[in-house]
Amino acid sequence: MALATLKRLINSSTAVAVLFMLLLASLYLLSGSTHDSILFGRLYSVLLVINLAAIFLLLVLIGNNLYQLVRQYRARVTGSRLTARLVVLFIILSVTPVSVVYYFSLEFLKRGIDSWFDVRVEDALKDALELSQASLGIRMHELLRETEQVAAQLHAVPDELMALTLNDQRSKSGMAELTVFSASGRIIAASSKETAGLVPQRLSDSTYLRIHQGQPDVGLIPISDKELSIRIAVALQPHHPVNEKRILQALYDIPERINVLADSVQSAFGDYNELAYLRIPLKYSFILTLSLVLLLSILTAIWAAFFYARRMVAPITDLVEGTQAVAAGNYDKRLPLPGGDELGLLVLSFNQMTQKIAMANDAAKQSQQLMEQQNAYLEVVLAHLSSGVLTFDNKHRLHSSNTAAGHILNLGLQGFQGQTLQAVSLAVPQLQPLSDVISKHLQAHTQEWRDEVTLFGPGGRQVLMCRGTPLPHTITLQGGHVVVFDDITNLLQAQRNAAWGEVARRLAHEIKNPLTPIQLSAERLRRKYLDAMDADDAEVLDRSTHTIVQQVETLKEMVKAFSDYARMPALQLQPVDLNTIVAEVSELYHDDETGVRITIQRDSGMPLIEADPGRLRQLLHNLIKNGIEAMPDERTAHLTLTTHCVKDDKCRYIELRIEDNGPGIPEQLFEQLFEPYVTTKPKGSGLGLAIVKKIVEEHGGIIRAENLPRGGASVILRLPVTALSPDTETNPNPDSELENNSNAAA
Amino acid sequence: MRQAARSTGIGLLFAALLLPQSGFGAEFIVRSVATELKDDVYQLNARIDYTFSEEAQRALQSGIPLIILMDIQVDKQRSWWWNKEVAHLQQGYLLIYHALTKKYIINNLNSGAQQNHKSFTAALQTLGQITGLPLIDKGLIEADARYQIHLRVYLDIESLPAPMRPLAWLSSDWRLSSDWYTWPLQP
Repeated sequence: MALATLKRLINSSTAVAVLFMLLLASLYLLSGSTHDSILFGRLYSVLLVINLAAIFLLLVLIGNNLYQLVRQYRARVTGSRLTARLVVLFIILSVTPVSVVYYFSLEFLKRGIDSWFDVRVEDALKDALELSQASLGIRMHELLRETEQVAAQLHAVPDELMALTLNDQRSKSGMAELTVFSASGRIIAASSKETAGLVPQRLSDSTYLRIHQGQPDVGLIPISDKELSIRIAVALQPHHPVNEKRILQALYDIPERINVLADSVQSAFGDYNELAYLRIPLKYSFILTLSLVLLLSILTAIWAAFFYARRMVAPITDLVEGTQAVAAGNYDKRLPLPGGDELGLLVLSFNQMTQKIAMANDAAKQSQQLMEQQNAYLEVVLAHLSSGVLTFDNKHRLHSSNTAAGHILNLGLQGFQGQTLQAVSLAVPQLQPLSDVISKHLQAHTQEWRDEVTLFGPGGRQVLMCRGTPLPHTITLQGGHVVVFDDITNLLQAQRNAAWGEVARRLAHEIKNPLTPIQLSAERLRRKYLDAMDADDAEVLDRSTHTIVQQVETLKEMVKAFSDYARMPALQLQPVDLNTIVAEVSELYHDDETGVRITIQRDSGMPLIEADPGRLRQLLHNLIKNGIEAMPDERTAHLTLTTHCVKDDKCRYIELRIEDNGPGIPEQLFEQLFEPYVTTKPKGSGLGLAIVKKIVEEHGGIIRAENLPRGGASVILRLPVTALSPDTETNPNPDSELENNSNAAA
Repeated sequence: MRQAARSTGIGLLFAALLLPQSGFGAEFIVRSVATELKDDVYQLNARIDYTFSEEAQRALQSGIPLIILMDIQVDKQRSWWWNKEVAHLQQGYLLIYHALTKKYIINNLNSGAQQNHKSFTAALQTLGQITGLPLIDKGLIEADARYQIHLRVYLDIESLPAPMRPLAWLSSDWRLSSDWYTWPLQP
């Protein structure tokens, strides 16, 4: 907490400025104190320590910054390279001029201080001092003689009168002070110019020594800071040899003028001497101060370089990171504003840019979502459309298709996406007619067209009703074409069946009516005229009438069958086991004298189906009869009936397969095999398979025929399993499912 | 102010301890200290040997004034706590060489008294003789308590001209000081 506060303080530029000002102030004081001013002089050592501490602090800060920068540089942190370059640049820019100035300042300093000193000045000062000393020496010599004269007069003076005599002598000679000491240093008498009772100057040990050696002691003594006096001590010869030796000390004032001159010489000499002594320390001191100034400046500059490089690089680093974030797809990145300068403007622009990108991105996402929803909606609609839909681009390549198209064409159309119609029809030849029709209209740029196309596939004939129209120009399609088509085979079949039914009913009605009168008339003719005729004529009549009656009978049978086809009674559905019915019906043919062999292969797991058992028997009869009649020789006929339960993942239905060993179905007949009055047999009415197909379709099933590879034909019919069977699953819409399967089978 | 300067001085002293020593033999030694009771005032008599380094003598002869300080401290001894300072006094002596008269002048900074000496040795001898320095009034001394007196003398580096100070702090030529001399106060 405290550390964070400290860090913030150190990092704030105000603190930096304050610190720098303080350092400058301390440096100023330091340089001032070198000039020996009294206040600064006292602070000198403190200031020195403060500055050294500041240098140490700066070194620690710079070391820390450097360590962090090196670590970031090695870790390749964003912005560290730029920071390092800026720091190096700042340091070079600041250190170089300062170092040059330092070098020359140092030279000037050394020479400046040396230039203060001059040998001639020094000699002159020494000479002046000696001159002063010599001049004062002459004066002292004179005063010594004077003192000795006074001493000569004093030696006979008794102690009691000594003080008076001293006073007298002192005032006569103009001495400042006159004192008589005993040999032990005791003051015997004294006289002083100063009336205030000052203690007279005591004798020093050296004076005693000289007096004992029998020499006078003459000396110049500094009284106070600027005053000099001459002191002379001489021995007083004792009046009696028994008396102890005494010492006379005389102090003379020096005239004011000489005092001033002597002081001037002394102080000049003293100052010069002191300065000469301080020459080296002064140099060191100035160099120290200068070096401190330099060090502090350089270190502060280096630190400031780190500080400002970081501050300058921070928004750039932010921008780099922001740009990377935007490149990575994060458009919510907002950068802090560094200030009001150009960088601030840049960051502001960046923020606005990312905001706009984010908005545009959102809008794009929304519209994409909307489009996807619309696409999904369209896809669902198309998928549930029973009509097949194909779209083509402007290069006539297949662009998209719906599921119904695939079902109708019995193809996986996904594999053909992006291919031209020609390529599709090459891969699937039976689509050639469809491809031809569509290509024709695409190339002719027909606006709206309608066409009927007949395809021949393995599943049989398919009639498609196609409608086409060009698509408007869009970015993705650029003017394509859409083709919608329906399988109208069943519709046409139903129409044809209905027409046939109507014709049959009318024909039956119209033919049946005159048949009975014809028959009755033929019988009356025979009865009336047979007996009356001769034998030859009677035979003719008999044969003719017999033929008429017989043919009418046949005709009646035919009409009945005809009307049966047209008018079948309503279905009576009930749960039926197909295996049982197959067994019952085939049993009837077992004892046939014709020698037909029937083999049954039953699937034991067959579920019950919902069907009309009567119709199913009729269906089986027809099929078996049809199979037998197809044989050139009935005695060699061999039929195989197979029941089979087909389980798909979605629906379940049963399959009945009837195979014969006949010549197979002629190719040209395949198309209309199950239509009425189509037959190859001389005896058949041509309605057998038509009735079979009708029954199958009434039960919601499908039927198809195929030739077997080993010879013979096979008729396969499939009937849906209803929910009645307990072991079958509920199939809510078996018909539609079967539709799918029928297509698949076709 | 002087206190602050002294604390920084101590800092520099630590730094100086790491530097090679020179000027061996230049030191101040307190030889003897005695107190006597005179007119209800304890007076101090002491003898101190001053030996100056050549560098210091050269500086003095070049006219640099030297200040020698004497710290005297009277402590009341307490067995259960730190000693209590009863009195503290500092005596200062200014030593100057007067070139014109070729005299060494000792100036007592406390009393202002001035003494002149022809030789440096004589001056040092005078400086080393402390006689009858009034220390503490008898009334301030409790009869049943025990007291200790601490004394030391040293050259005041902070009073040297500023340019000399950094070097002086670092040089043993200038760090002239006696150890603390301790003796009991005899009533």
